Amino acid sequence: MVRDIRAFDDSRAAAVFLAPTLAVLVLFLYYPSFETFRLSLYETLLLGQQTTFVGLDNFVTLATSPEYHNSLFVSFAFAAVVVVGSLTIALFVAYQLYRVDKWRSIYLVAAIWPYALPPAVAATVLLFLLHPNLGVITHYIEMIPGVEFDWFTNGPLAFGVLAVVAIWKQLGYNIVFLLAALHNVPESLAETSRLDGVGSLTMLREVYVPLISPTLGFLVVMDTIYAFFATFPLVDLMTSGGPNGATNLLIFKLYRDAFEFNSLGLASAESIVLFGIVSILMLAQLKLTGEYAHYGA
Amino acid sequence: MTAIELDSVTKRFEDVTAVDGISLAVEPGEFLVLVGPSGCGKSTTLRMIAGLETVSDGSLEIGGERVNGVEPKDRDVAMVFQNYALFPHMTAERNMTFGADAARDISESELSKRAAEGAEMLGIEDLLDRKPAALSGGERQRVAIGRALVREPSVFLMDEPLSNLDAKLRIQMRTELASLHRRLQTTTVYVTHDQTEAMTLGDRVAVMNDGHAEQVAPPQELYDRPATRFVAEFIGEPAMNVFPVEVRGDAVVHDTGLEVPIAAGEMALKGDIDAADLGVRPEDIDIAPLDDASAGTCTATAEVTVTEPLGDSLLVHCQLGDETVQVSTTPRAAFDPGERVVLTVDADRSHLFDRETGEAVYHAPNTAVGSSEDRTQRADAVAPGAGGEEIQ
Repeated sequence: MVRDIRAFDDSRAAAVFLAPTLAVLVLFLYYPSFETFRLSLYETLLLGQQTTFVGLDNFVTLATSPEYHNSLFVSFAFAAVVVVGSLTIALFVAYQLYRVDKWRSIYLVAAIWPYALPPAVAATVLLFLLHPNLGVITHYIEMIPGVEFDWFTNGPLAFGVLAVVAIWKQLGYNIVFLLAALHNVPESLAETSRLDGVGSLTMLREVYVPLISPTLGFLVVMDTIYAFFATFPLVDLMTSGGPNGATNLLIFKLYRDAFEFNSLGLASAESIVLFGIVSILMLAQLKLTGEYAHYGA
Repeated sequence: MTAIELDSVTKRFEDVTAVDGISLAVEPGEFLVLVGPSGCGKSTTLRMIAGLETVSDGSLEIGGERVNGVEPKDRDVAMVFQNYALFPHMTAERNMTFGADAARDISESELSKRAAEGAEMLGIEDLLDRKPAALSGGERQRVAIGRALVREPSVFLMDEPLSNLDAKLRIQMRTELASLHRRLQTTTVYVTHDQTEAMTLGDRVAVMNDGHAEQVAPPQELYDRPATRFVAEFIGEPAMNVFPVEVRGDAVVHDTGLEVPIAAGEMALKGDIDAADLGVRPEDIDIAPLDDASAGTCTATAEVTVTEPLGDSLLVHCQLGDETVQVSTTPRAAFDPGERVVLTVDADRSHLFDRETGEAVYHAPNTAVGSSEDRTQRADAVAPGAGGEEIQ
């Protein structure tokens, strides 16, 4: 006889236990999502107090706006640079931390502390360190003859500075995961390779990277989300999207459209598009990881 | 020239001394087994030879050259690990060739030729395209051995390579390893905690305890003339019975009245010892029901406590005074717990050990290697059907 296996005899009891979680999800996730979707079909005034239904007009506006196109391009370029940059550097640093014998924990703390800083604090500190006129780091960079480090007016330079800061901020997170993954690789693999005399870079490329590929896949997804969403405070405090929109990431642009230009409807439409973009990217990344990552021994 | 020579080699991990001044010489082509209980330093010794651990003190030579600070890759050794150490994302063939390919100047055709030869030798030709996850434990260990073969090193180091295999496969692989060594004649140092493996595989066996070698000798000599009480009790299954006796003139006497005469053996009992430990192997004690035994020298009465039928023999545990004595007898002998029996010790096969140092002070004359046909027969009990004679 087939029987249902139930954790609770009484389905009402189950509902009561689920209620708090469901309430939080509905209140803070599903309802705002629905409301965002609804707002994206309206034109709004005065923070949404007056709304007019406009159908898909907001999406048409986005599709035809050169400013939005620029923002899309900047965001994709920024995500690519941040994901590739932070993973590559973190992989290299984590590998060195994994191989070092002495003072490992001191190095580890040094490598991951930027992650422990609140983004706003990090952005403010770096703004001063890198300030074109006042920055200590700027002072030393400009000692190189012919170099002018004025990223307040130079768009590509601002993009570069912001990318470096975003990479630096995310390194600790990546290093923690990569180091844990490296420690899961059996030590005898390294020992047998030492006996054979396999070089350390060959080991990294041929042995460690394939064996930690599930973690790398996970980090690509997390870093993509970071680059698209969590870099907002860095842009807000350091460049405000400028100069000339060179760092006007989608997440920053939609914030400004909503709360500076009071176009809640348009900003909602931008949210929907951003959500769609990141969802598609994540699906693709997860599918690729599933196909190519090596799981288990 | 010796293949490997350890001279007072010591390994300290902070305040723990894992290996305490071990000296060993391995001859070219020899199969030397390091055997001992967990934590005796056998694996550390092997890892020092490999270069995976540094030597704290003493001198280590491979092929006549001091290699104390030499990188593992420059020692021309290959190692087989207990957990196989295969790369899970590579095929069996790639596993065999990866190390040699990445590090050495060997052409691709030469590599695949070597891999094919190794695979044929190990009977894994059909498995070369599989990844480790699709291989059984025995197949994985064959691939790991194949990787060592592809390297064509001057020394094989094996760290408990059969420990992860089930009992039946272990015996099969043991025989294969023995015949592989007979074919290749490559110097091999093999670590195990399994005395049967040690006895069947080793040309010589080094019994290790507490970071030093208690005795290094051919397997039969270890069994027949153990240099210390530790070796006597470690080698042989079931273990040798050892119990305290008093030395009275040319005999030793146990509390129960058991008296064993001491003949002029190859080692003379030193006159100044009045107490020692008597060692007798379970198969060197005769057991008989109380009524039909005649009392005489070398006999004592005891009580049967437990019987263990082993199929080819019956192991009887007896209480002799304060001691528990194990006696091996014919398989279908009828002894019951609680029964009074007479034990007769074979005086010609007894050993005496110094009670303080544990060193052997006397071996009965019949324990000399090759001294009696009877001995050869008895010694089979060490490794029943193990195929050890193949390498003798």
